[in-house]
Amino acid sequence: MFKLIGAAIIIIATTWAGFEAAKKLSMRPRQLRQLKVAMQSLEAEIMFGHTPLKEAARKLSKQMAKPLSSFFDTFANRLESGETTVKEAWDDSLKKIWQSLALKQGEFEILSQFGETLGKSDKYHQQKQIMLTMAHLEREETDALDRQGKYEKMMKSLGFLSGLLLIILLM
Amino acid sequence: MGIDVDIIFKIAGVGLVVAFLHTILDQVGKKEYAQWVTLFGFIYILFMVASVVEDLFQKIKSVFLFQ
Repeated sequence: MFKLIGAAIIIIATTWAGFEAAKKLSMRPRQLRQLKVAMQSLEAEIMFGHTPLKEAARKLSKQMAKPLSSFFDTFANRLESGETTVKEAWDDSLKKIWQSLALKQGEFEILSQFGETLGKSDKYHQQKQIMLTMAHLEREETDALDRQGKYEKMMKSLGFLSGLLLIILLM
Repeated sequence: MGIDVDIIFKIAGVGLVVAFLHTILDQVGKKEYAQWVTLFGFIYILFMVASVVEDLFQKIKSVFLFQ
């Protein structure tokens, strides 16, 4: 009886771990797409709206979905408190939100590089930087989609099967 | 005899799961991991079989070599 309960717990735990890994794989392309949308809106705010950066960030935090919205919210708050440079505020809010994103180190570098250029130049130069970041994000997104298609199913079945193997070995 | 049947089922189960793992890892192009998994499963089963065969040898020894 206890054996069966233990077996069930092991199966549930490993299957859950597999599904969690698969979820992380499927979250990455979605968050990259959201980031691209955020970049486009930021470009629109800068080019056509001539909006100051903190208002633009505030607007973006309202438009975006959950993890990214709190990133732009923190960024706007840091800018409004007015004690830091844009780069520091961007980096700090990026580090703060990073744990809840499913992105990789490469994306972190791209975003923090973008933060360095933010608010330093005229709007045409800024637009070029946004274009560059978009191109980088595009490349990462194809990579992420590729990985998702390849490994998502594998993670699910791998979790379940490794649980099964563990049970048979321990029986 | 009861123990023997148990061990056969266990070997069958390990074989089944390892075969599944091999196929899945092979499909996503992780051939080297697939081979390692199969190798470890094989070694594990080999140890179980070795213990059974050892029992058999002990029995033969006790039958033919009177001590």
